Amino acid sequence: MTHVLEPELAVRLAGLTLRSKRTVDGLLAGMHSSPHRGASAIFKEHRAYRPGDDPRLIDWRAYARSDRYTIKHFEHETQLRGTLALDISPSMHWGSGDVSKLDHAATLLAALAYVLTRQGDAVSLITFDEVIRDRLPARSGPAHLDYLMRTLAEPSQPTGSTALHAALDKLIEHAGRMGLVVIASDLLDLGDDALDPVARIQARGHQTIVLHVMDPAELELPYEQPMRFEGLEGEAPVEVDPKGIRRRYREQIDGFIASCQRRVVAAGGRYLLARTDTPPEHTLLQLLRDG
Amino acid sequence: MGFGLPWALAGLAAVAIPIIAHLLRRQKLPKQTLPTIAFLHRIHATRAARLRAVDMLLLITRALLVVALVLVAAAPYRVARSSLLDRQHALAIVFDDSLSMAAIHEGETLIERAADSSIEHIQKLPEGSEVSVVLSGKPARVWVRRRSDLGMAESAFDEIDPRSTRGDALCDAVRSAVELLLESELSDRRLLVLSDFTPGARADECEWPTRGIRVGFETVSTPDPDNRRIGSVELVGEQGGAQGLRLDVQISGPSTEAQQNVRLRQKGQETHSASVRPIDDGGEAELTIPSGSTDAVVELQLDPDDVLPADNVRGVLLGSDTVHVLLVDGDPHPDPRKRETAFLSHALSVAPRVGRSFAVETLDAQDLSESAIIRSDVLVLANATLDEQWLPLIQRFVGGGGSLWITAGDRINPRAYGSVLRELLPGRYTATRMEERPVSLQSKALPELDQAKVRGRTPIAEASLDAIVTARFSDGAPALVEHRYRSGRVAMFATTVDDAWTDLPYQPVFVPFVIDTLTRLAGRTEHSVEPYAPVSLPGSTASQRIQVVTPTGRTVDLAEADRVSFRDTGEIGAYRVLVNGVHGARFAFVVDAPEGESDLVTNGPPEREASAEAVVSETSEGVEQPLAPWLLLLAMALVFAELWLRQIRRR
Repeated sequence: MTHVLEPELAVRLAGLTLRSKRTVDGLLAGMHSSPHRGASAIFKEHRAYRPGDDPRLIDWRAYARSDRYTIKHFEHETQLRGTLALDISPSMHWGSGDVSKLDHAATLLAALAYVLTRQGDAVSLITFDEVIRDRLPARSGPAHLDYLMRTLAEPSQPTGSTALHAALDKLIEHAGRMGLVVIASDLLDLGDDALDPVARIQARGHQTIVLHVMDPAELELPYEQPMRFEGLEGEAPVEVDPKGIRRRYREQIDGFIASCQRRVVAAGGRYLLARTDTPPEHTLLQLLRDG
Repeated sequence: MGFGLPWALAGLAAVAIPIIAHLLRRQKLPKQTLPTIAFLHRIHATRAARLRAVDMLLLITRALLVVALVLVAAAPYRVARSSLLDRQHALAIVFDDSLSMAAIHEGETLIERAADSSIEHIQKLPEGSEVSVVLSGKPARVWVRRRSDLGMAESAFDEIDPRSTRGDALCDAVRSAVELLLESELSDRRLLVLSDFTPGARADECEWPTRGIRVGFETVSTPDPDNRRIGSVELVGEQGGAQGLRLDVQISGPSTEAQQNVRLRQKGQETHSASVRPIDDGGEAELTIPSGSTDAVVELQLDPDDVLPADNVRGVLLGSDTVHVLLVDGDPHPDPRKRETAFLSHALSVAPRVGRSFAVETLDAQDLSESAIIRSDVLVLANATLDEQWLPLIQRFVGGGGSLWITAGDRINPRAYGSVLRELLPGRYTATRMEERPVSLQSKALPELDQAKVRGRTPIAEASLDAIVTARFSDGAPALVEHRYRSGRVAMFATTVDDAWTDLPYQPVFVPFVIDTLTRLAGRTEHSVEPYAPVSLPGSTASQRIQVVTPTGRTVDLAEADRVSFRDTGEIGAYRVLVNGVHGARFAFVVDAPEGESDLVTNGPPEREASAEAVVSETSEGVEQPLAPWLLLLAMALVFAELWLRQIRRR
C-alpha cells in the first residue's frame, strides 16, 4: 500500500469528501443522500416551524430553551458502491520518466479507494487488458482496502493488448446498479466502438468517470533525431524523423483525445485527462472539486 | 576524353562515404518504444513510400556530388574532333624575331621564312577565326591583337624587321600569347610557336600551357649554322700614350680556313685592318689606334660576312673610365703656378700613376660656356665669383647627371651662393673667417688629412637632411659636405684648394684627397647596352644641340629636355654624341649583340610531341576542351538538389 499510495498523499486526501451527483441506492447507510428512508437518520439542520410542517418534527427541547417552535430536520443517507477499473495492458506499463502510466493510474485509483473507504463506502476493483484479470468484490473496511491496495500495487501480468470494449462490457456485469464507476486507462484501443459501453454503464444508473492516463512524451513526441520506434502491443516498428512529423502527430493525438472526451461526455460520463507529469493530487482535486 | 590530373581519380573511392553513411545511419538509428506508435503508423503510412524514394534520391545525389567534385579535381577535358574547315578557333602565333632569326639562308633571313610560313597557316584558318601575333624579340611585343580580319593579320608580317638585332624573350611572348587566347570567346584555342629554338631562346624555361590550349611548334632554322662574332676586345696601353692604344680582338665561333679580317672604323671611316689568325675556338687579331687619337668610341667589323652579319660589328669604348673634369678658376693669374687651380691640375696630372685617368680642362670663370660644361663629368668652381647666368647651365648639368664641386676662397660671396644656388647646395656658406690658431682636417677615409693646417675658412651651415659630411675640421665643423641633386652630385669645401688658407696642397694626402673626391663625384654610368635598351642622355636646349650618330651614320636630334631616354638603339655598334657638333666623349655608348644569339645550332622545340600540323592542319584531331566548368555547374545543381531533398524529407 505504501508503494501505491504515499502516506503524504493519504493525509492530504483525508479531508476530502467525495460526493456523488446522483443519489444511489445502497444497502448500507452512508453519507450519500438516499431517496429511501432508512433506520439511520443524521441531523441536518434546525429551522423555524411553518404551518403545514409535521408537528412531530418540533424539537421540544429547543422550544423549552428558546420558547420558539423549531423543526429538527434529518437527512437519510445511504452507502455508495464504487467500482474502480484499471487498464493493465502493456501500453500502460510504459512511461517516459520514472513513473509509468500504470503507476500513475494505480495511484489515482488508490487515492479514490482510500477516500471512499474512509467515508464507509464499498469499493470494488477490476483490472483488465483484453479480458478481466483481477476482480475484487465491493466491500468496505480497512482489511478490504489493504487487499485492494495490494492488488493495485501488484496487478496480474497482462497477456494481451487493450480490448476496452470487451473489458467494459464485462465491467457492467460486475458493477451492479446505481454506483460510481471510475475507469483509468490510456484508451489506446483505437476501435470506433471502444467507448460505447460507457453509455450502457450510464444507463444502468452509474456515474462514470474516465481517467485518460497519458504520458507527456505520448502527447508531444519530444524526440529530435530520427529513430526507430517500436510498439508495446505487437505493432510493427517504424523509422521516422520526429521533427518532420511532429506537427501532424500532435494533430492526431489532439484529435484522439478530443474524440475520447466527446464520446464519454456524450454518453453522460465525465472525462479527465490525467497526465503523468501532473501530480496525482491535482488530478483528484480537479475531480472532486468539479464533482 | 582525358584527365589533366588523372591521379586525382583515386578520390572516386570517396563515393563509398555517402553509401556507408547511409547504411550506418539505418543500422544505428536509436530505438524508442512508444505506446502511441499506431499514430506514427497512420502518418508514416502515407510517407513511407515517398521517404524511401527521397532517401534513395538523396543517396544518389550525394554520391554523384562526390563523383562530380573528384572529376573536377582530375581536370577532365574532351578532345574535340572536328575539321578546321568547319570549326572557328583562336590561334596565337609566337613569332621569334630575335637576332638569331636574322641569319641568312638562301638569300633570305629566317624571319622572312617564318613570316611566309605564318601567312600560309593563317590562310588555312576558317572564316571567323581569330589570330594574334606576339613577337618574341626582346622585349616581347603584341604585334597583332585578336584579329578576325585574317587578311590584315597576314599583312602585319610584312612589317616585321627581317634583320632584327633583338635578344630573345620567348617565355614572355608565350605568356602574352596565352593571355590573349584566354581572352578569346572561342573555345578552340591553339598556340603556334615559330622559332629557331637556338640556345638563346631558352624554350625549355617557358611555362607552356597544359590544358585547354593546343600547342604546336615549327622550327625555322638554318642548315648552315656557321657563324662567328667579335667576342671580346681588350684595350692595352694608353690612348694618349706614345705607343698608341692596342686592341686585342677575340673572334668566337667555329674556326675557318677562309681569310678573315677585322677592320677598324673611327668616326665612320675605316682607318686600319688586321688579319684574323685562326685558333681552336675562333680567331684573334690585333689593331692599334695611333697616338693622338681623341676618339671616345671606335667600331670593329669582321669581314667577310657570315650567315649572321649583325654580330660581326662591335663598338669599343675608349677611355670609358676617364673622368672629364672642368676646372673653373675663379682667381686666374698670369703665372700658371699661382692660379687657384694650379694645385688641382698638378694633382690630377699624377693620377694615372695611381691607376686613374682624368681628362682635365681649365677655364677662367669668365670663359665658362654651356658646351664646356656639358662635355664634363665634374665641374669644379674653385674660388669662383658666382655669375647668375650660370644658374640654368649648372642646374641642367647637375640635374642631368653631372657633378659640381665648389671650393672656398676670398672671391666667394656666401650670400650670392646662398641665393643663386640654394636649391643645389648641400649646405650654406657663412661669413669667411681667419683662425687665430690653425685647425686641422679630419676624415675617416683619409686619416692623413689631419696633417693639414687650415688658417682660413668659409664655414658651412645648415647642411641639408641628405647631406653627407665626408671631412670635418678639428673643431667639429663640416669641411667637405656632399649630397645628391636629381641625377648628379654636389660637394662644398669650406677652405681653398690652393695654399691661400691652408697647407693642404703641400701635404702628400692632397693627391688622394682630390682624386677620391672627384672620382666619387663623377660616378660612372653604364655605356654598353643591349639592342633597343634605353640610354639616358642630356636633351637639347635653346643654345645647345645634342645629336646622336648611330653605327650606320644616321644622325638623330634629341628633343629639348633636361634628360632624354634615347631608345633608337636597334643598331649594333658604336654610338657617338655630338654637343653643338663637337664630340661629347662622356656620352658615347655602344650597343652589343645580345649574348647567346650568335649560336645558330638549333636545340629543337621543347620536349613535346606536338608539331605545327597538329595545330593548324586541315584535319586536326581537335583541341582539349576543359570539362571542369560544366562539372562544377553540375556539382552546384547537385548541392541544391540535396538541400531540396532534405527539405522534402522533413515535411
